[in-house]
Amino acid sequence: MVGLVFYPLAATFWDSLHRVDPLQPGAPFVGLANYTRIFGDAEAGRAWTNTFKYVVLAVAFETIFGVLAAALINQVKRGRQWVLAAVVLPWALPPVVSAVIWNWIYAPGPGLLNGALMALGLNYDNYVWFNNSTYAMLLITVVHVWRMMPLTIVIVLAAMQSIPAELYEAARMDGASRLNMFSTITLPLTRGAIAVAMTNATVYAFNLFDEAIIMASNTLETRPILIQIYLEAFRKFHFSYGMALSLVLTLIALLISLGYVLRVQKTTRLD
Amino acid sequence: METPIGHRLMVWTGVTVLLLWSLVPIYWTVASSLTPTVDFSVRPIHFYPHEITIDHFARLLGFTDETIGGVNTAKQFKLALFNSIVTSLGATVLCVLFSLLGAYAFTRIEFPGRNVIFYAVVGTLAVPGYAVLIPLFRIMVATRQIDAYAGITLIYVSAYLPLCLWLLKGVLDALPRSLEEAARMDGASHMTILREVITPIAAPGLTAAAILTFLGAWGQYLVPLIFSPKLTKPLTVMIPEFAGKNFIDYGLIMASGTITILVPCMLVMFLNKYLITGLLAGSGK
Repeated sequence: MVGLVFYPLAATFWDSLHRVDPLQPGAPFVGLANYTRIFGDAEAGRAWTNTFKYVVLAVAFETIFGVLAAALINQVKRGRQWVLAAVVLPWALPPVVSAVIWNWIYAPGPGLLNGALMALGLNYDNYVWFNNSTYAMLLITVVHVWRMMPLTIVIVLAAMQSIPAELYEAARMDGASRLNMFSTITLPLTRGAIAVAMTNATVYAFNLFDEAIIMASNTLETRPILIQIYLEAFRKFHFSYGMALSLVLTLIALLISLGYVLRVQKTTRLD
Repeated sequence: METPIGHRLMVWTGVTVLLLWSLVPIYWTVASSLTPTVDFSVRPIHFYPHEITIDHFARLLGFTDETIGGVNTAKQFKLALFNSIVTSLGATVLCVLFSLLGAYAFTRIEFPGRNVIFYAVVGTLAVPGYAVLIPLFRIMVATRQIDAYAGITLIYVSAYLPLCLWLLKGVLDALPRSLEEAARMDGASHMTILREVITPIAAPGLTAAAILTFLGAWGQYLVPLIFSPKLTKPLTVMIPEFAGKNFIDYGLIMASGTITILVPCMLVMFLNKYLITGLLAGSGK
């Protein structure tokens, strides 16, 4: 553990203050130069913007549909474990393989998406979705959501199952509708779980790599920051700059996660 | 109380949509892997294979001797399958073993700095993998562990150890101590207690830890992309390469995809209960 996690982490920070480049001799101390360089780097800037778009879209989709799906599964009485198994399945598959599968679904010509649109009478036969960067990012997000939403569902569903049934009985006596019960009992009591799920969703969306590189290769229009780091470090061998970028990414993801947790604690205390 | 029919209908419609969303891509993978290549050019497309062929699987598993672009696909595929199995199983066994020993030490044996060490190890859960990737690469180059089974397996172990340790410490904390005390009275050593008493009753927790590690290692892409470029290349790195050529052989890709998702599908189908326990333990802060 010390050798494979702590030492590298410390080394990441230390080396990010130097110029480490296997193609150039020596490793002079450069202070914060690797960090200030981030601000002037247009490519990295685009990658940051893309990453933030992915995070916002993915977290929104996963949370909204994940909570709805959990509420739905919570209503299922017979065969619940089978429904749950089917829903968890996308999470268990290798991310690369699910990206390859969806790539085939999106393919112009024999792809399932265009085939289904054709069957509906729309002329999409040879439409290439990835020629449009907005569609491309949306479709990449869909694949990521397909893979990560099960985690949100499982976390939120566990919280819903732990709500005592008497609360709902009492509300029903008072004549509350199902929608009423959902917004006054279910949502407030699962708020903590939703925050945990959102934290996970955020961290995973910041780590988006496999889907983008399989479906759109290195294209700058859809490139998330992690691909940028990979290219800088392992194609251009700018090790120390790559490390500075990864540390900034780690820090941002941690801060945002902390934000959710603190916010939830505050609102729960006000209740 | 009787649920109104309208509500039940709504729930079942919703569940159907949810099931379609989750399962259609998987159905489509399997269906495509059984479709003859010529049928891919049929328009409008068939939503199920009109003719079934096992040709793609035969080519992958080497029942027919064929080379594509001078490369023996079957030989490559079988090597990648072997690599995936070896590294994932190796990481799972080592990870569960180490975290069981660790969890036992952290819950049953008093030693100085116990809590500090435990939280230091579990704290690495908050460190994303990419933050240590570059120095790790330099360590592996220095110790000549690039493209070696030991190197890649150890990286997986270090990635999943904190999670497993966290999970198993929770399990061991919750176990009743009376059996162990009885065993200790009889003069059993720590290792005997661990093997004879704890392992059988902690089995569900061990299963959860094993599934999480196995699925995680099985699905790794970025790490083997960097650390396993040739001889130890796993399935996840190999499959996208099928699409890199001029002609994209979708039947072959989908057949290899089907084989790769077979193992996770089986695990989810039969051991979903443990998987969900593990997921919840892993996400709870």
